[in-house]
Amino acid sequence: MNIKEKIYRPIFLILIYLIITIAALASFQEHGVHIEEKYHRLNGLFWLNHIAQIFNFENLSFITEKKMIGIGDYTLNRPADFPKYGIILDLPLAFIEIVFELEKIENIYYLKQSISFLIFLISSLFFYKLLIKRFNNFFLCLAGIILFITSPRIFGDSFLYKDVLFLSFFVISLYYFFNLTENLNKRDLFLFAVFNAISFNLRFFAAFLPIVFLIFLILKNFKDKKIVKYFKIYSIYFFLVLFFIVLFSPYLWTNTFSNLIEIFRPLKNASIGEDIKILFNGNFYSNRYVPETYLFTWIFITTPIITLILFLFGYIFYVRKFINRFINLKKSAIYNDLWRSQNESKDFISFLILTSFVFTLLIFNSPFYNGWRLVYFLNIFIIYFAVYQINNLSILFRKVLITKKLLVIITILAIIHNVISLIKYHPFQSYYFSEIITNKMKNSFEGDYYGLSGKHFFQRLNLDYQNSKFKIAVASHTPLQRSLESVSRDVRKNFEVIGQDYQNADFIYKNNISEVNSRLNKKYNIPANFVKVYELNIDGTVIYEIFKNNR
Amino acid sequence: MKIFFYKSILIFVLFILAIHFSFGLIKKELSREISNLTSKESLEAMKDKLREEIKIGIEKDNILKPEDAKIIKRFLDKVQSELIDSTEK
Repeated sequence: MNIKEKIYRPIFLILIYLIITIAALASFQEHGVHIEEKYHRLNGLFWLNHIAQIFNFENLSFITEKKMIGIGDYTLNRPADFPKYGIILDLPLAFIEIVFELEKIENIYYLKQSISFLIFLISSLFFYKLLIKRFNNFFLCLAGIILFITSPRIFGDSFLYKDVLFLSFFVISLYYFFNLTENLNKRDLFLFAVFNAISFNLRFFAAFLPIVFLIFLILKNFKDKKIVKYFKIYSIYFFLVLFFIVLFSPYLWTNTFSNLIEIFRPLKNASIGEDIKILFNGNFYSNRYVPETYLFTWIFITTPIITLILFLFGYIFYVRKFINRFINLKKSAIYNDLWRSQNESKDFISFLILTSFVFTLLIFNSPFYNGWRLVYFLNIFIIYFAVYQINNLSILFRKVLITKKLLVIITILAIIHNVISLIKYHPFQSYYFSEIITNKMKNSFEGDYYGLSGKHFFQRLNLDYQNSKFKIAVASHTPLQRSLESVSRDVRKNFEVIGQDYQNADFIYKNNISEVNSRLNKKYNIPANFVKVYELNIDGTVIYEIFKNNR
Repeated sequence: MKIFFYKSILIFVLFILAIHFSFGLIKKELSREISNLTSKESLEAMKDKLREEIKIGIEKDNILKPEDAKIIKRFLDKVQSELIDSTEK
């Protein structure tokens, strides 16, 4: 890399990040609040109160208790009943809320959303570093992170500090894991353990990292023959992970061992979960028995097509390589059995995490809902193998100028397509569907599961009917009353949400979220005296509808 | 040792996959069907259907075919006479 490149690359990178940050932060308040924001706030306050009580901070304990009482919602779960839920963002944010005396509920949520997005952006920098170490090609890796950030559903969810927050910490963990493949040093081992524990705090899926790390060391040992050293390294790492898992989770501060086992119970009892019906491909299924194709279908219909094709070819290409390596195993060799270089070891780790995770989900019959949001972190590997494939093709066609240029055009097209989709779906990027499926098909899957359209709905009615007071019924499983917190107090007081009491309602809000089979159960049927007066339709996807009482 | 390790892993993975894609899938399919049939909505739908059929039947001039009516009458008469006999004894 010459001096010119050394200067312009960081400038170019900073410029891209500045544009993304400004564009995102200028428009993120339009996203509305999702139905679980209230719960997350309560969760943060609950654990802050717990800590305040342990350390005898009376004032803090009093304030948190007062705030918790103020969060009145009969539909909300009690954090004490779900003590396993991650607190890595909820708790610090509850602390910030108290320290900075944030009173306006919208501001509390927006602060949380902006911090969640900034963590996602920081994690994308780690993803860039991870890619650059692997592929050593600035423009390819730049394209990789732009595709990573602009994946429509991931971008939309990056404000919602749930699944994408896990993705963010997972990618940072992976970065340090990849560093360890180059050099097993103490610093990276320590940071890998810290971020692994943080990821684990959000989702226990992060337990895959220690398993894959162990497999990696075992396989590496076959060539290096340093079993004692690797055993020592793994023991230190494992101890650190356990230590930080306990440290980051106040739930584990008492009855540590039994509570830790309790965290793994969802995996053991994966087939037992909340038995609700979910709309999938036009049919209602119990979430315990979704079709085998559920995950693959969702990824297929919500991932931009160019990225998806590149990923599929990249993955197949690697699988072929992996099988070849496996078939040609030798009793003794001067190289590692399943990889030949540090770069290849990273491909192997990515392949192993992705494949073993997907198979585990299938074998344990994991209950799914809301598309593939629970496993959005798989997008890391989708982009990784897409970039891997672009790299393969550019090596393959390095001497054919036209093909090389064609590859650049395809990559730029993929980015432009993502950016256009982000603009088209704004502020509902979380509900993006690929253009390859028909509009009818788009509406035969769950839509607005976060209830983000609530804000749009209240603002729309307020605008159309100039501050009149209305009773709103809800023909959906969405707890719409929680969305009232996304609008200003003046607007909020004009609406009363009355559940499914349709006959006393002035308007009905409907989105296609139902916990029952709505073809058999009529609880969300719109009564005959209501007429549709509005429908928010984005690219063929019906986000929500408004029905007016014609009495 | 190394080859044994790889072979063991391969056999283990193939075994798990074979079980899953044979018995596992059949079990899941059956469970799904049972869950669908016994779900609250399905039972409610069945009840609704039954009510609907009864309503349609009531509105008809004749619910039964003449031959069926004769058979049922003879059957009920027979049962009745047997019941009377048993009480007289």
